[in-house]
Amino acid sequence: MIRSIVIKEFREMVRDGRFRAAGAATLVLLLGALIVGWRSAADIRAQHADASRTTRENWINQPPKNPHSAAHYGVYAFKPKTALAFLDEGIDPYTGVASYLEAHAQNEFTNRPAADASVLQRFAGLTAATVLQILVPLLIVILAAGVVAGEREQGTLRQLQSLGVPPATLAAGKLLGAGAALLALLVPAAIIGAVALAAQADLGSAAGRVGLLALAYLAYFAAWIGVTLAVSARAPSTRSALVVLLGLWMLNSLLVPRATTDLARRLHPAPSALEFQRTLAREQQVDETGKTYEQYEKEVEARVLAQYGVDSLSQLPVSFAGISLDASEQWGDRVFDRNYGKLWDTFAAQERVRSWVGAVFPFLAIRGVSQGLSGTDLHHHRAFSEAAERYRRYLVKTMNDELTEKAAGKDFQYVSDVAVWAKATPFDYETPGLGFVLERRAIDLVVLAGWTMLALAAGLAATRRVTP
Amino acid sequence: MTAPLGRMLRHEWRGLVADRTAWLVLGLFGFLVAYAVMNGATWNRTQSRTLDSAAAQADARLAGLRQALDSLPADAPPPGPFGRDPRSPASVGGRDGAQYTVLPPGPLAATAVGQSDLLPQYFQVSMRSRQTFANAQEIENPSNLLEGRFDLAFVIGSLFPLLILALSYNLLSAEREQGTLALVASQPVSLGRHLLAKVLVRGGFITLVAIVVALVSLAAAGVSLTGPGAPARIGLWILVVVSYGALWFAAALAANVVPRSSAANAVLLATVWLAVVVVVPAVLNVVAKTTHPVPSRVELISAMRTASNDASARGAALLAKVYGDHPELAPSESVDAGEFMSRTYAVQDEVDRQIAPVLARFDEQLVRQQQLAERYRFLSPAVVTHAALTDLAGTGAPRYRAWLDQVLGFHQQWQEFFIPRAFRRQWLTPADFDAIPRFRYQAEPDSAVRGRVAVGLLGLAIPTVVLLLLAGNRIRRFEVAG
Repeated sequence: MIRSIVIKEFREMVRDGRFRAAGAATLVLLLGALIVGWRSAADIRAQHADASRTTRENWINQPPKNPHSAAHYGVYAFKPKTALAFLDEGIDPYTGVASYLEAHAQNEFTNRPAADASVLQRFAGLTAATVLQILVPLLIVILAAGVVAGEREQGTLRQLQSLGVPPATLAAGKLLGAGAALLALLVPAAIIGAVALAAQADLGSAAGRVGLLALAYLAYFAAWIGVTLAVSARAPSTRSALVVLLGLWMLNSLLVPRATTDLARRLHPAPSALEFQRTLAREQQVDETGKTYEQYEKEVEARVLAQYGVDSLSQLPVSFAGISLDASEQWGDRVFDRNYGKLWDTFAAQERVRSWVGAVFPFLAIRGVSQGLSGTDLHHHRAFSEAAERYRRYLVKTMNDELTEKAAGKDFQYVSDVAVWAKATPFDYETPGLGFVLERRAIDLVVLAGWTMLALAAGLAATRRVTP
Repeated sequence: MTAPLGRMLRHEWRGLVADRTAWLVLGLFGFLVAYAVMNGATWNRTQSRTLDSAAAQADARLAGLRQALDSLPADAPPPGPFGRDPRSPASVGGRDGAQYTVLPPGPLAATAVGQSDLLPQYFQVSMRSRQTFANAQEIENPSNLLEGRFDLAFVIGSLFPLLILALSYNLLSAEREQGTLALVASQPVSLGRHLLAKVLVRGGFITLVAIVVALVSLAAAGVSLTGPGAPARIGLWILVVVSYGALWFAAALAANVVPRSSAANAVLLATVWLAVVVVVPAVLNVVAKTTHPVPSRVELISAMRTASNDASARGAALLAKVYGDHPELAPSESVDAGEFMSRTYAVQDEVDRQIAPVLARFDEQLVRQQQLAERYRFLSPAVVTHAALTDLAGTGAPRYRAWLDQVLGFHQQWQEFFIPRAFRRQWLTPADFDAIPRFRYQAEPDSAVRGRVAVGLLGLAIPTVVLLLLAGNRIRRFEVAG
């Protein structure tokens, strides 16, 4: 019997002109978004690969010079595009694309692509993720608001009950029917998405992320179908079911995300760039215990003299310039670790506010999961930034060590060449694995799963207890 | 004979007062407006604090250098090329006297964040290349930038229409479904008037809530409503809100005059809303970005590197390079150092010259994107309204562009003042200090803002009139019983 209910629901939806129109529009937008996203991700990936090669070549092709000059010359780190970025570009438009890795300073990632676009960017990006997160739930609401309420209005609900259709079967049939109609729409898009993905990345390595992403979206849609069914079964009319559902949809996908931004900023304010730079400059001079940089330098000098058992720097068998530069890097690194660490923690705290609000409004949960699995969320950005900073320190230290070991008596007059430049291995970055996402998006995943189960249970329960 | 409109309005008013849903919608809306204003005001305060601090720092730098110059003994040794010295053009024009060019917030800045959270509102300008400040950016969590802010412009642009539709999607259809419409039609009342009364009462009330709550919240947040330029802008702001609201009521009317079920009306209007507020802007953005793509920033970075490598290879010596990185190591009376100084500027100049066309290309393409967005904004009244509201708040694209041009002009002025003096190693005198160019933002005349907003208002009025004409035409054929 459940089969005939599912088939009836499916047929009714697919025959509905509104479903066809809305479905076609959604599909066109989804495919358009996939194509645009895929092309731009491929372009950016090619550019970044090219630029990474060039920056390495520039590094290697430096003319003979002092190693510390080379450290000043530095290299650039370019933020890679992940394999799934074409589905959900996440925060990519709003993070800088490159960071200058040089001696003495940790630089931020600059050149945010969004700053090179008009204000239209701020309305909503046309990505597959936007379509799936915002438009598909609307489609569900519009098409399924009347599944039970409509039967009640037409009097067919009474008829069904008089036929002895078990309420549980009716409920399950309604759910599956709506789901099947939706799948008819999404499967072609999913196939095209998979082909697009296979064209640019090794499917095997992304399989875990892709599989979980597909599951997450299905869960999100199932949650919406469940909520829609629950409201439809309780509402006195299709009209009131629709109004309630549209209100929920608006709250969930429009109002709450923005309101959360301001809430998160209020709870965990970040410093302004001006303040931040001023703090860095101050702490470069004096650390938190009140020790000045000059005192620190003197300590280093005394320690080195003691270590080598000599009375003056000129007697050292190594270059003190190198040692002192290395010490200054360590001093600076502590300042950067403290301040950038605090900044990242502030951002992470803001993300947690989002995750907790997501417990009530699952849009934020699916958004977090989708960005996390696509590798385009704040956590991935942080992981990459920190890797770039580690590489900066490695590069500078390699140069300083060269100076220390080889430049005794010559210091800044010492000249190195390509053999030394090549000692520093190129910057190589691997996007973290699935475990990284699971750990950082645990709240969102649990919330999403919980929502889906609750919503489906509510939908089934409400339909079973339905009164004609 | 037909009933006077006044009596019909009173009747509708009573109906509205008795409607609990309507009160819920209005209450929610009032709360959202107040919350949005509070957010905007908080943001504005945060930003003003930063901008004031930057401006004060710029003043303090020059004042401090001037004081140092005055207290310098007459027989002080001449400054080295890299030393920090109030007489040295390289020191004052470089890092020590670098200026912050601040874009001051407009009188109604609290009403729309616009792009002010993404685009830098101040630059640190010195005699060094434009590249030293072009990359400046404000610290912000990228997730926050992605989600956008809950400001008044968002509430008016996106939520106001939804609440209007919630109040008006079933103006006639509900009465038809309840069967009361036939009763109304049997009275000496024209259907058009009946509908008009409904719209006027609902529209008047929700628009009034928007305006009154917004103004009261602004005043409560400490925004001066009577300051210079503010009253005229508030007047225009009210006009924009009224016109935008009228457009959405007209859309609801047009949907209502076709006999359809309330549910079908709700679906239709929600779809229209989605198209106007989300889909059309998103598609326009894609079109703007693909027809006028900006060059790749990543390629720019590589190009700059190459240009500066080439230039340095022609000019720089090893010793000078190290001293350039470590000015404190440079001997104060080195002839080489003086020569290096000149070479540094020569290299910088060369790099700037090579990069200028690429940078210009970024600006051109962005302007083209903005122009396209401006031209086609009429396809989405939400974009028209957003443009008008940010314009009135002083956070719109035209004002930002004008300021950016002024910053670039100032940078050039600053370079023209200091670089020749640095080349000539001509020490600064107190008279020179008085002649140092200062950045003063030249606000565009209010008439320019008014002109742009007027065009926007027209862009809202025309579709409103068209919809009303369509509705008026159609209502004559309306079947009251279905």
